[in-house]
Amino acid sequence: MGNKVILLGNEAIARGIVEAGCEVASAYPGTPSSEILPAVARFADELGTKTAVEWSVNEKVAFEVAAAASFTGKRACAVMKQVSLNVAADPLMSVAHFDLAGGFLVVSADDPGPHSSQTEQDSRFFAMFAKVPCFDPASAQEAKDMVFDAFDLSEKYHMPVMLRPAVRVDHCRQDVELGEVMDLGRNADFKKDIRRWVCLPAHVKINHPQLNAKIDAVREDFEKLYGRYNFEVPSKGRARLGIIAGGVSFSIVMDLLKAWGREDISVLKIGTPHPLPVKMVEDYISRHDNVLVLEETYPVIEMQLPDRTRLKGRWNGFVPRAGELLPEVIRDLVLSALGEPLPSEAAGELKAAIQDLKVTPKPPMLCPGCPHRASFFAMRKALPTGIYPSDIGCYTLGVNQRDVDTTIDMGASLTSASGFYLAYKTDGKDQPVVATIGDSTFFHMGILGLVNAVYNRHSFVLAILDNRITAMTGGQSNPSIGEKLRQGDEGRQVDIEGVVRGCGVTFVKVVEPYDTKDSADVFKEAWEFAKEHREPAVVILRHPCMLLRQKQARVKVRVNPDKCIGCKYCTNFFNCPGLPFDEAAKKAGIDERFCVQCGVCIQVCPHGAIEAVEGEEE
Amino acid sequence: MQYIIVGLGGQGILFTSRVLGHIAVSRGEHVTGSEVHGMAQRGGSVISHFKVGEYESPLVVAGSADLLIAFDQNEGIRNLHFLRQGGIAILNVHAPEALENPHLANFIAERGIRLQAIPGYDLLRKEMEGRFLFMNVLMLGAMCGAGAGNASIEEVRAAVEKLAPAKFKADNLKAVDLGYSYFRGK
Repeated sequence: MGNKVILLGNEAIARGIVEAGCEVASAYPGTPSSEILPAVARFADELGTKTAVEWSVNEKVAFEVAAAASFTGKRACAVMKQVSLNVAADPLMSVAHFDLAGGFLVVSADDPGPHSSQTEQDSRFFAMFAKVPCFDPASAQEAKDMVFDAFDLSEKYHMPVMLRPAVRVDHCRQDVELGEVMDLGRNADFKKDIRRWVCLPAHVKINHPQLNAKIDAVREDFEKLYGRYNFEVPSKGRARLGIIAGGVSFSIVMDLLKAWGREDISVLKIGTPHPLPVKMVEDYISRHDNVLVLEETYPVIEMQLPDRTRLKGRWNGFVPRAGELLPEVIRDLVLSALGEPLPSEAAGELKAAIQDLKVTPKPPMLCPGCPHRASFFAMRKALPTGIYPSDIGCYTLGVNQRDVDTTIDMGASLTSASGFYLAYKTDGKDQPVVATIGDSTFFHMGILGLVNAVYNRHSFVLAILDNRITAMTGGQSNPSIGEKLRQGDEGRQVDIEGVVRGCGVTFVKVVEPYDTKDSADVFKEAWEFAKEHREPAVVILRHPCMLLRQKQARVKVRVNPDKCIGCKYCTNFFNCPGLPFDEAAKKAGIDERFCVQCGVCIQVCPHGAIEAVEGEEE
Repeated sequence: MQYIIVGLGGQGILFTSRVLGHIAVSRGEHVTGSEVHGMAQRGGSVISHFKVGEYESPLVVAGSADLLIAFDQNEGIRNLHFLRQGGIAILNVHAPEALENPHLANFIAERGIRLQAIPGYDLLRKEMEGRFLFMNVLMLGAMCGAGAGNASIEEVRAAVEKLAPAKFKADNLKAVDLGYSYFRGK
């Protein structure tokens, strides 16, 4: 013991999962949760545990794989991000009713802000909805500690338990204590019991009251036995303000109070927001005249209180109902709650300078050399009047090229394409529609939409952007690649073309996206086919992700200033960080800091101004 | 000691805070910091918060950072408000004329900021065949050269040597020295 190392919050959670003797861990990557599972595999390799560690094709799959493993008496966990829990909501609601055997941990990472998500929903509400306990860590060390408690609690009450780290805990880097692996010495032993493992309505009539009794008992435990997560930091003398805080908001408050050297504010930390230890919180409120509630992102603590009318919180709009509770936001909320003046914005001159110099935050862009950029360019060139529903992944950044018209959630590119097809068809119109989806997202939720479109005979083009990786979340494997996480584990590649044909698609062509002329021709051909045959046509654009750093031909390029007329066509429809537009000179140019010499932009300029530099091809 | 490290996705900012973290932990100091992963890494603005000492939260409050390390000039300017009175900014500059903006100069003077500008791209172009991937270690060297931060050049060199991939060890150390000597040579 006493071995401290610096870990990412997600790595601390992973370390806890391995040390706690978890034997089956499954996940689907999603920011801010993505680093957990690879770290589980790494620690399991280092510590020599038997843990099975797998990327599942989606979160419902991951949840069910881990849940069933726990039915055998072993510890198991499923890891995902907050919107992923929407995908796994179906099994979560059912499994909550079961009387589980082994410990079952669900890690759902929230993204207040949001930084990398389509919503900033609060997983703690899902815990409340499903009636399962939830831990909310304030630091990496606490997140790791909570993993052990979550497994223990799960086994005490035979129910799933959620750990809800928010982004600032997932992606914090802190010193964390390492421990040994618990040897639980368990063998898989599934005891057949229809009442226990089959969710028939007749069983729900027994299981639901049983679930209620469990969650009441957990609440009593949270009132008394979890002082390490739920505790009061008292003020000196009578507090002018009481702050109830959970998650990283607690840590931010503690740093603020220390920096200010204030002792007239007390804090109640809540690390177990569901079921809320109501008596503890009510007692705290009764001892304060002025109480502020800080929690991310929804009012989960607030809403479990029978009377919140005396609180400064979200119910009365005191605390913002959207966005992250950043330190500056919390600072101003605390000062406002005390009725004290806010710090004056001393940065007026800086704001003026920023305005003068036109220094704006740089939005994310597809990487230089990214094959998706070329795919989008060819798609628009072939079908400029198209509607372009897209999906969740790096390629959502195709918005910068005006080639992403809609994004809803994982897999919705295909189903949206079906909706557009039907809406125009009922007017008797053939509207070109091209759906774009990545390889991992296709396996996650795309296949079902494709089967639906084949079955119902919907005409559109599906472009599968196969870059051989789950790129946006940092480069995880998926069925299109076939690699697994643990050393010595062998996976198997699932062939996208075969799957597409198996779904009943007859037009399937694979193209190299860097050749934009050829792929544009194939896009046109695919749409004509889809229109004529009343079925979806599939184009697979295959080129490895730049993050994989595979060797490829390098073509040094330049912009010929005599030919560039400053039309911005390349900026609007190709949008490469290596090919910026100089507003002063009214010309495009190459930024060698970013250009990776893929050479694709030579095909882009309608005036032939982008040229290969002679003798520089390798 | 509170650091803010800013730049653009892909510039290797995470490695910089890993090096600083490694140094602090090997001294037995408590560290906490916050990183950006995911969509924000795709070439967009990136910010790392990093604190050494008895802090709980991973985030630095605006107006309280001791040191701002900016891998990109624009990102640096945009985040100067994080610095405390008398804080230090190490800025990789590619368009130095922007620093002459009178409002910017006023702000820097008002807040008593020590601004240390280094032409990182030029240096890497000249000395390391334009391999801009080494900007992160160059900036660490520059930090020591400017006498900022709480790690010595020896500690930085040792940590980079330990944490950098073997293949690029020599190049990384060369870039550290390049950044260090830029300020020391003057």
